[in-house]
Amino acid sequence: MDCKYVPSVCSYCGTGCGVLFEVIDGKIESTLPLKSHPVNQGKLCIKGWNLHEYINSYMRLKSPLIKENKKFETATWDEAITATAAGLDQVKQTYGPDAIGVLVSAKITNEENFLAQKFTRAAIGTNNVDHCARL
Amino acid sequence: MDIAIKTIINDVQRQLLENQVDIFLGYRKLDGHSIPHGYTRNNLEELSGLCISQNRYPLEKAATRLAQKHPNLKIGLIARDCNQRSLNVLYTWNQLNPDNIKTIGVNCCPSPVKDHGDCSYLEPRTTGPYKQEHGMDFNASPKDLVDTMTSQDRFERWMYEFNKCIKCYGCRNICPVCFCKECSLEHDGLVEPGVLPAEVPVFHLVRATHMAGRCIDCGLCEDTCPAHIPLRLLYREANEIVSGIFNFQPGQDMEKSPFSIIGDTIEAQLTPL
Repeated sequence: MDCKYVPSVCSYCGTGCGVLFEVIDGKIESTLPLKSHPVNQGKLCIKGWNLHEYINSYMRLKSPLIKENKKFETATWDEAITATAAGLDQVKQTYGPDAIGVLVSAKITNEENFLAQKFTRAAIGTNNVDHCARL
Repeated sequence: MDIAIKTIINDVQRQLLENQVDIFLGYRKLDGHSIPHGYTRNNLEELSGLCISQNRYPLEKAATRLAQKHPNLKIGLIARDCNQRSLNVLYTWNQLNPDNIKTIGVNCCPSPVKDHGDCSYLEPRTTGPYKQEHGMDFNASPKDLVDTMTSQDRFERWMYEFNKCIKCYGCRNICPVCFCKECSLEHDGLVEPGVLPAEVPVFHLVRATHMAGRCIDCGLCEDTCPAHIPLRLLYREANEIVSGIFNFQPGQDMEKSPFSIIGDTIEAQLTPL
């Protein structure tokens, strides 16, 4: 039996509200706003208040899936990354790097966005990189 | 270290070791934030970090959830006056067993009765000029409003406040005395799901009605409202009616709410609001 509170950042939009997960016996039971967080100052929207529901959802993906023969099969991360890299490489070999575009997200951190654009420019070799907030 | 905190830590340690409580809900500092934390016999080494927080969280709500999972768990918690009041409400509504709860009282909001308060919440908040002109004064008392505004003006102001609602349900989610499994605010007949803006004033009045005879005036709802709706004032107003008719103050002691008594006939005269 244990009860602890884990601070985190809401994963729904780019605002970055501070949230506090109430964890009882290892399971997230509810979400609270982090009162001392400078962004949301103890307030949340309806999505933030219900973060624990998607974390506990039975529909949540817990491992990567690879589509083989029109059917999704559970895979390990290594397999999934290898398959994705092979797919991208094939497109690049056949149609050139500008056939690939990367759309990054407001939901991920600055650092992850930086990595994504670096990957697009340096590894793939195209300037086709954009951000979901510009859609 | 503050002597008062030291005494509390020693107290908690003794209670845990003597099996008087199985878990103690207090606060700790983490990355500069004061957040609630459950101290148990398994993490005694963390006890030195126990602190009192300026930020109030509904610890008794966590206690209710813990008690649902482990009915015989003995729970201790840091309690300000507001926590104590909501515990009383939860006891009388059979959500918590008073035999299993042990509190350590701490200073609370400054008031004429307690001048050594820690919490600044009850100090008058400043109401800005725009708000004064277009909104509801944070610190207004229902009586002043009745005296100074016509009913038409008051109605317009309340409707203005309600119209700002983003329907986040935060007031209900943070409320320490909201424990119903089926919430009226999620009943399709009363509140249409997925529709914005919230239906005014039904959404807010449904909640206000349910707060009558239950709200302990802790102000967490207003604290957490992203639209700055003066909810505390609204529920205080609703409670004023209950205390006027039944002479009942929720959370003051272990008296049961007049709304939980079935079978008595109570004759009440309608009074103009």
